[in-house]
Amino acid sequence: MKETDPDVELLARIGHQDPAAVNEMVSRKLPRLLALAGRILGDADEARDVAQETFLRIWRQAANWRSGEARFDTWMHRVALNLCRDHLRRRKERPLNENEDINEVVDSTPAPDEQLEAAARSEQMAAALASLPDRQREAIVLQYYQELSNIEAAALMNISVEALESLLSRARRNLRSYLAETPGHARPGRET
Amino acid sequence: MMTPERFAHLAEAYGADLRRWPTAEQPEAHALLRSGDATALDALQQARQLDSLLDSHQLAPLDLDLARRIRLSAPVARPASFWTRYAGWLSPAGVIGVGIAGVAVGMLVASLSLPAPRLIPDVLPSVFDQGDAEIVFTVNAEEAEQ
Repeated sequence: MKETDPDVELLARIGHQDPAAVNEMVSRKLPRLLALAGRILGDADEARDVAQETFLRIWRQAANWRSGEARFDTWMHRVALNLCRDHLRRRKERPLNENEDINEVVDSTPAPDEQLEAAARSEQMAAALASLPDRQREAIVLQYYQELSNIEAAALMNISVEALESLLSRARRNLRSYLAETPGHARPGRET
Repeated sequence: MMTPERFAHLAEAYGADLRRWPTAEQPEAHALLRSGDATALDALQQARQLDSLLDSHQLAPLDLDLARRIRLSAPVARPASFWTRYAGWLSPAGVIGVGIAGVAVGMLVASLSLPAPRLIPDVLPSVFDQGDAEIVFTVNAEEAEQ
């Protein structure tokens, strides 16, 4: 039996301009979108831009959504992923500015010692993710952090499941190697 | 049947949580673990360490202002305002209709407010005027003859 899409009913209500449905969609999907774009881009401001633009497309699409063609969550990931790719492409085209301000995606609020330690680990992990080639980072973010199935993640990346597994293996090896050897920061799309 | 090498490959790709693995391969992976295969257990342990590091990546708390802006960007049905409710009146047809109604009301008010014209009894016919009656009868008589 085919699994029902949990977002379809909400989309129909948004199509009828129901404010409560809009609130629920934002609560349900905004953290997910920020997590995706934040980890792919490594920049909080750009992640917010991607989230906002994705929601504009959601509002436009809601009234015309046809269930059964694709899961809404997968469609939303495709939209956001394409926007992230555009950001990364533009970033590579821009000349590198040494003084460029990096808007950290991680929580920067002051915290007690144990939280500072956790924040340091988080920053190190962010740097490790940022050091990955774009395709490897996409694979690990979609499969591990966004918890998409291997079939969904492979479809979003337009590759086979076997190719996805290969990208994931290389990503995890590279992360392990980075974390073992290299403290410090890197930014996605800024490999020098 | 799943080999220890295949198990290690999947652990290296998908991590230590077997629920993230391809659905079809999960039962055999569990079976290999239950058998106590050393290669499988070692692969799982290594994968678990990296998973723990991946999980250490925290995201900033949700930006409430961003959430508010996104909500406002949605086309939601709002209660109709006075101008929205009566916007139809501002259409060209509405304006013409209201104009005609205004003129009609104006004429009525003007006609009621003017003094009535002074009637001259000599000019008005009277029901007691026999002359007219004769003419009428005469005309009718002629028609009857024809």
